[in-house]
Amino acid sequence: MKYTTFNQKTTDPLVEPMFFGNPVNVARYDQQKHAIFEKLIEKQISFFWRPEEVDVTRDRVDFQKLTDPEKHIFISNLKYQTLLDSVQGRSPNIAFLPIISLPELETWVETWSFFETIHSRSYTHILRNLFSDPSEIFEDIVVNDQIKRRAADISRYYDDLIFATQLWQTLGEGEHKVNGETHVINQYELKKKLFLCMNSVNALEAIRFYVSFACTFAFAERKLMEGNSKIIRLIARDENLHLSSTQHILNLWARGKDDPDMAQIAEECKDEARAIFMNAVQQEKEWADYLFQNGSMLGMNKDILCQYVEYIANERMRAIGYEPPFEVKSNPLPWMNNYLQSDNVQVAPQESEISSYLVGQIDSSVDESDFADFEL
Amino acid sequence: MAPPPTSYRIDVVDVGTLDASTEDTLLTSLEKAGVRAQFHCREGFCGACRTTLLSGDVDYTTDPLAFIDDDEILPCCCIPLSPLKVKVPL
Repeated sequence: MKYTTFNQKTTDPLVEPMFFGNPVNVARYDQQKHAIFEKLIEKQISFFWRPEEVDVTRDRVDFQKLTDPEKHIFISNLKYQTLLDSVQGRSPNIAFLPIISLPELETWVETWSFFETIHSRSYTHILRNLFSDPSEIFEDIVVNDQIKRRAADISRYYDDLIFATQLWQTLGEGEHKVNGETHVINQYELKKKLFLCMNSVNALEAIRFYVSFACTFAFAERKLMEGNSKIIRLIARDENLHLSSTQHILNLWARGKDDPDMAQIAEECKDEARAIFMNAVQQEKEWADYLFQNGSMLGMNKDILCQYVEYIANERMRAIGYEPPFEVKSNPLPWMNNYLQSDNVQVAPQESEISSYLVGQIDSSVDESDFADFEL
Repeated sequence: MAPPPTSYRIDVVDVGTLDASTEDTLLTSLEKAGVRAQFHCREGFCGACRTTLLSGDVDYTTDPLAFIDDDEILPCCCIPLSPLKVKVPL
């Protein structure tokens, strides 16, 4: 089906599926099929922050004091985070927007991706402060084998869905030969690709990101690189919301609350989806191996990080209806929770006294008693 | 008429029982009683504290944004409205 930026056909978004129905026309939010996405948008916008608001200047001094293995851990971790957000800053827009059929979901995806671009900008903010020329760091992301290996897996499902969608939108359903390769394009196959892609996105945001957060916060636990940690806290808060949204999508599908085809696919592709999570876990463990190849740091080593990967994978898989596959029962890094608490997130220095600072909080309900101690 | 109760008995499966005040979120009550429940955001959007509600009623202090199944609650943003029986993932 050809994509149109303004579908002239009258549609009823209340009966459209989330994906692969009619293209959205009017961006209206007065009625919603899945109100949760509008709520997520509101919450996400209330989280708005700018990297420049966080002072990272002290980190430069801390960084000089780190040992070489610690520098390797810190910089590699930052490179990985930069990769993850480079992918997330564009891919949900490109992969999902052309096939979304609900206005509230369309706007959620745009809001979500926009916040990923804030994250990307914050890595430059951090690196510019640490190095007079951060080019070497950025350039290595594309040539470093360890990073490339996980980049390939992260982008694979997106690329697959995007390519198939492009064929479908230009050539329609059928068998299409492109550059000597035959592609079978029909809506059911497209939906399968979408299902696998959504699982891969969930694994990225719910597991891969958290492994990197654990490394960042391990430095902060030692009162090192605190500016950086403050930024990553803000990123973690956003990612928490993003992973909730993909959990919602996956669960709506699996429980038959959206598109009956997707409910069937969720059952049919259960093993394949599960394998995506197991692969992500395996890759994160290999990554831990690379991070700590030159030596550990106080409070964090390869074994603890691997246990955390298993713990967080159990939690995330349980949340979307998969049996938790690992033995680990309790959180091996209990201090992580202090960094993931929304209330502990502080944006600007002037807000340091106010733990839960909200932008645009205006209370229009004023009671007469509010003026009781007011004299002219 | 008697005032509404200020606390309810909570039966945590495999752990024991505790009294939860209607002033605190269920998560805070669990923590006060020494039950180390999982949590991240404490604001209802991450879902880390997702808990199975076997019986009883709760009221949300903020709208939960994380996915919860029909038989699940988010202790971080709810208070008990009756005695509860819950299964907390530890």
